[in-house]
Amino acid sequence: MSTNPDKLLVVNNLATTFNTSAGPLPAVGGVSFDLNKNETLGIVGESGSGKTVLARTVMGLQPRTNVTVTGSVLLNGHEMVGVSEDEKRKYWGTEVAMVFQDPMTSLNPVMRIGKQIDETLRVRLGMSKNDAKAKAIELLELVGIPSPSQRYSAFPGQLSGGMRQRVVIATALACSPKLLMADEPTTGLDVTIQAQILNLLEDLKEQFQMSVVLITHDLGVVATRTSRIIVMYAGRIVEMGTTREVFTNHRMPYTRALLESSPKVSNPSHTRLITIPGRPPNLLKLNQGCSFAPRCAYATDRCHQQRPELQIAEEPGHSFACWNPLPSKREAATR
Amino acid sequence: MLKYVIRRLVMLIGIIFVISVGSFYLIHLLPGDPAAVILGTGDSPSNRLKLYKLLGLNKSIFDQYFIWISNIVRGNLGISFISQTSVASTIRAALPIDLEIMGLSQILAFALAIPLAMRSARKPDGLIDRLLGATSFTLLSIPPFIIIVLLVLFVSIKLGVPNIGVASYVSFGTNWIVNLESLALPAFTLAIGSFVVYYRVLRSDMIATLQEEFITMARSKGISQRRIMWRHAFRPSSVALLGAAGVNIGGLLAGGFVVQYLLAIPGLGYTLIAAINDSDYLLVQGIVLVVSVGVVLINFFFDFTINIVDPRISRE
Repeated sequence: MSTNPDKLLVVNNLATTFNTSAGPLPAVGGVSFDLNKNETLGIVGESGSGKTVLARTVMGLQPRTNVTVTGSVLLNGHEMVGVSEDEKRKYWGTEVAMVFQDPMTSLNPVMRIGKQIDETLRVRLGMSKNDAKAKAIELLELVGIPSPSQRYSAFPGQLSGGMRQRVVIATALACSPKLLMADEPTTGLDVTIQAQILNLLEDLKEQFQMSVVLITHDLGVVATRTSRIIVMYAGRIVEMGTTREVFTNHRMPYTRALLESSPKVSNPSHTRLITIPGRPPNLLKLNQGCSFAPRCAYATDRCHQQRPELQIAEEPGHSFACWNPLPSKREAATR
Repeated sequence: MLKYVIRRLVMLIGIIFVISVGSFYLIHLLPGDPAAVILGTGDSPSNRLKLYKLLGLNKSIFDQYFIWISNIVRGNLGISFISQTSVASTIRAALPIDLEIMGLSQILAFALAIPLAMRSARKPDGLIDRLLGATSFTLLSIPPFIIIVLLVLFVSIKLGVPNIGVASYVSFGTNWIVNLESLALPAFTLAIGSFVVYYRVLRSDMIATLQEEFITMARSKGISQRRIMWRHAFRPSSVALLGAAGVNIGGLLAGGFVVQYLLAIPGLGYTLIAAINDSDYLLVQGIVLVVSVGVVLINFFFDFTINIVDPRISRE
């Protein structure tokens, strides 16, 4: 594969299969995408669509046992698939770091928060104890924690959820990673705190010159903060394009269903939310056709028989996987 | 925190009072008469009566208890009926032996259990985990009095290792080599029981902790597996281990009796059995008191340690 210097991340046909007692479970089924330097990419989809597993596999952070990963992930030129944990560990923290979903469980409850940040600095950057402490306090201040030098010795249980998520972010940023994977960073938080955390991430992205992969099930979160969006369903990419294209000119019925099911401020009050009928498929019993077909209003026999591959839409970089795509707004306009 | 300590100390006094009443009553229920032991062949009804008066045994059991407890409050454990030496000095001579056996066995048990439990937890149901699981379960099923006999048979008689298992007890200060030789087998025997408990408790808690999200987060920071195990997983997994240790060590203070008796090691256990056989009421009472205070204090210490190890507990 050519190494494009602008590409920080090149993911090619990545698949993650869990070997469960009930059989192989393809949590991520052959996903390809790339990410430019300083770009923010959104990954959206329902719960169970494989977003988190994808993020972890990209980082190489999948469980150690009972999992098979195939394909390729080039992170800043380093292959992350099929290499040992010792090898991957060299890039964790410094090249790529992750902000975890639930700050209530992602911090060690019996370790002072300062020590949790320190640790990365001392182990990964070889800082001295005092330097690491100073840097940790600086990071706590940077992520907006009041009186950081006192908070340094607090236990996670003494902080609110929003504060804990700031600590998680500070930990992730400690070694100035080039890529930040933010896995539903606001799902566990109050709505009022969500915007603060997202704005913080956006500011820090500029400050640290990072690329960000922002994973969410909330389309409102990605609408204004990402340049491109990947829509996932049942472990596969079903639509991918610039944020503008995905919002205004989506072709995959699932994307539309997802957009329609988010509440809109412009709607009159007491408007019923549109829901997607049915439930996400059981990954252990995937059909051979389009995995969305059983829930899709436009499904034909072909959809049930044959899986659609991603095809290029007219706009560069926009692609979708559907046999019966929605009409393009652009075509409709020119007609 | 201070309130907590005071509450526990008040509880301690209550517990010890209940234990002392119970043991005082029970020892008087036992068949056996100190006068018969002391008088031997000179046993006659008139001599017996005189001796009862001398020892205060002619008084009612309530009066006897009251006299005993009022002496205890003044720090006087009394004089042994049989040996006519003070109970306190007998206990002072025997207690270090129990503490040494207990200490040695616990060091051994922890030194084996912690690394092996961690090793098992890294790959649950792996080969090493299964082997250790089977071994620990086998060891758990053999009672210590059989283990000690088998060890003596094997180590001292079959292998003929000099001193170990047959050396008579010498204090650590007199000759520490002979001292350790004489205590090696009892300490090892008691370590086995503790090891099995500690290994199993820590293993299952480690497995649970390693599933936690904060372990994945620690991994994502790029720190080594070793560091994750020791710095991140061990401490939150050790609460049940400390609880088990508290109960276990307390039990060992009293539980080494059989092993001591079999190898004739003059610790508290050995002394207590002899005192019961002789109906030496005050010595029995003294030992029971010391052991129960020890058990309660040890439990208190471990409860306190758990509060420090896991800050989530003390806040509740």
